[in-house]
Amino acid sequence: MTPPIIKAMSDIATRLTVSPAPHWRCGRTLNSMMRAHLLALIPALVAGIYMYGLSAAATVGLAGSVAVLTEVFCLKLQKREIDVDNFTALYAGILFAFLLPATAPWWVTVVGAIITITLGRTVFGGFGCNPVCASLIGWAFCRLSWPAAMDIDLNLANFVINEPLFQLQKFGVDTLSQFNYTDLFLGKQLGGLGASQVAALTVGGGFLLIRKWIRWYIPVSFLLGVGAVATLFWAIDPGAYAPPLFHILAGSTMFGALFLATDTASSPVGKLPQFLFGLIAGAMVVIIRVYGSYPDGVPFALMLTNLLSPLLDRVRPKPFGGR
Amino acid sequence: MLRIHYSLESELKGGIADIDAPQELSVQVRNLVLKTAKRKKVGHGEIIAEHPSQSGGAFHAAASGTVRDLDYHHLVITCDESGEAVDPADVASMAPGKELLRTLQGLGIDIAVLSSHAEMLVINGMNPEPGVSVAEQLLADEMKTLEAGLEMARTLIEPKQVVLAVADTKEYQLPGASMKAVKPKYPHSLDALVVKAVTGEEFPANTKVMNVMDLYALGKVVQTGKPITETVMTIDGHNYRVPIGTTIRHLLSCLDMKVSSGDTVVLGGSFRGEAVYSLDEGVRKGDYAMFVIPSDTFPRVEDVTCINCGECVLNCPARIQPNLISRYAEYEKFELAEEHGLHSCFECGLCAFSCTMRRPILQYIRFAKDQLRASGQGKQS
Ligand code: SF4
Ligand code: SF4
Repeated sequence: MTPPIIKAMSDIATRLTVSPAPHWRCGRTLNSMMRAHLLALIPALVAGIYMYGLSAAATVGLAGSVAVLTEVFCLKLQKREIDVDNFTALYAGILFAFLLPATAPWWVTVVGAIITITLGRTVFGGFGCNPVCASLIGWAFCRLSWPAAMDIDLNLANFVINEPLFQLQKFGVDTLSQFNYTDLFLGKQLGGLGASQVAALTVGGGFLLIRKWIRWYIPVSFLLGVGAVATLFWAIDPGAYAPPLFHILAGSTMFGALFLATDTASSPVGKLPQFLFGLIAGAMVVIIRVYGSYPDGVPFALMLTNLLSPLLDRVRPKPFGGR
Repeated sequence: MLRIHYSLESELKGGIADIDAPQELSVQVRNLVLKTAKRKKVGHGEIIAEHPSQSGGAFHAAASGTVRDLDYHHLVITCDESGEAVDPADVASMAPGKELLRTLQGLGIDIAVLSSHAEMLVINGMNPEPGVSVAEQLLADEMKTLEAGLEMARTLIEPKQVVLAVADTKEYQLPGASMKAVKPKYPHSLDALVVKAVTGEEFPANTKVMNVMDLYALGKVVQTGKPITETVMTIDGHNYRVPIGTTIRHLLSCLDMKVSSGDTVVLGGSFRGEAVYSLDEGVRKGDYAMFVIPSDTFPRVEDVTCINCGECVLNCPARIQPNLISRYAEYEKFELAEEHGLHSCFECGLCAFSCTMRRPILQYIRFAKDQLRASGQGKQS
């Protein structure tokens, strides 16, 4: 049906904007959302640089810029508008870098950042359409291709402290006495260069939560999931399994809860689905840590649970009036 | 960062003020049955168009004058001083029945809600949308008329129970109606949610709802026997009695408001109203507010892809998934949209209000509803 052409009314001196209702908006934009997210990463970045030195800064910088350039290239190829100024590519690149050991070889960083954008996002239609958190795709690709280059304990062997989850996996619960919870919380543990800065990440994530850029459903249920399953194992045999608080503070649990799991596109949309998503992902983290062959279960747990998102979103309430 | 203007509370600033009589009236006549022609003279209150539906009220000239211009979309009347007017009908003494309903319809009342009985009648006394205070103003100043309107509604609907829903910060009473306090926060003022607050049920059968603006119009018709030719609207916090068809240009100049290119002028509420495209457009029957929104107040609406952030779902009072439904509408899969609860949506606009990507979600929803209605597949309008 072609709409009838309505003759313009006489007045063209004042051209009004015609837009669909609602005419008031909350003022959120993608740009402001991503800026808030980037801001939220700064404490952990600072803490990471403080701990691992300039190589951490170099890795983050490299991953971030390669991600942005890759995105520009991909958008060009697709003849789409170059909208990297919305910071999503930069953010994905930095998230990827946060999972790396600070001394990761430069080519791993570069390849990972490229994969994050291409296989993580572009092939699915770009930002917002990725079924799995893009940065995790980049991480998994590198981890599977170059295990040695990605191995945290190996890369950071010159540090006195250890990677708690590696210790747990290889040497059992007894060795965990070398870590105390305060140190773990303050980030005095080896791990991804930003992903294990628990306190700094909590500050950043708290900021996002208070500003309502992310909702609490996923982070809280994720930690609940981790806590619950860890408690279960621990109750069965405290001699063989680590205590729940250890699982929450060690490795990238906090990073996963606040930054990776809350990735908009790959997490469910409803309240209950989000809650279930968090619970399942949290539970998987501990299960992978206990039975899996990789020390930290967070990335794989999240990738698997991401795939469940569409299914979880089918758990929806009856519409108003319930028909 | 997230500025939320959900409050429906209002502080009344004085009474309802009048607007200087306009020189020209512009009435939208799209899809209406015209009852006049170009260059014809019309008297104050004369029918100029009828609604094509069974129940819609007729449209009348808000002043005497001559039809200067008439096209598919608009009818423009140049007002004169003759003051010619139609004779009032004696509505008050008529017995309930078909004839009374026809008369009311002829005087501009939409009789859909009045034409059958119901057990419960809910009067929605909440200010309809944030920034609008018409409902409260009418409750405060126009009790007599509201009572007359309620009296008429009672005779026609014969409800066993009448409940007035008002903001819990205010005390207003209608005779014979019990009161229900509702939290004055958008979207609690929407009919469906008000009914739920009162009855505890969602879309219950045998319950009817009228808002005080409609009740006032009905009361006015009953009291005077004259057709509806004006509407009460909130502009910039004050309430005005505005003849229907008054151009926006006239309103702005009367109230000394400035509009520049790029701004948005909205007739109706801030969440559900319609942006007009020209200052020569006239106020429509039932408009309860006008807003001027400077161009730089809010980020632009963009038709971009959804990023699945979930804000729309989490904010939807109808518990549906606007992200999915808007996408179905976008790709013309209207039946799927319907399956996912399209008709539960009561068009509050909160989804689009909170969308991170600023997608025109409500527009898509209305589009889907219209398309379904047009293709005759819609189960409900
Ligand atoms: S307009 Fe949007 S938020 Fe409001 S009921 Fe409809 S779908 Fe839900
Ligand atoms: S708020 Fe907008 S971007 Fe977010 S899920 Fe809804 S439609 Fe998509």
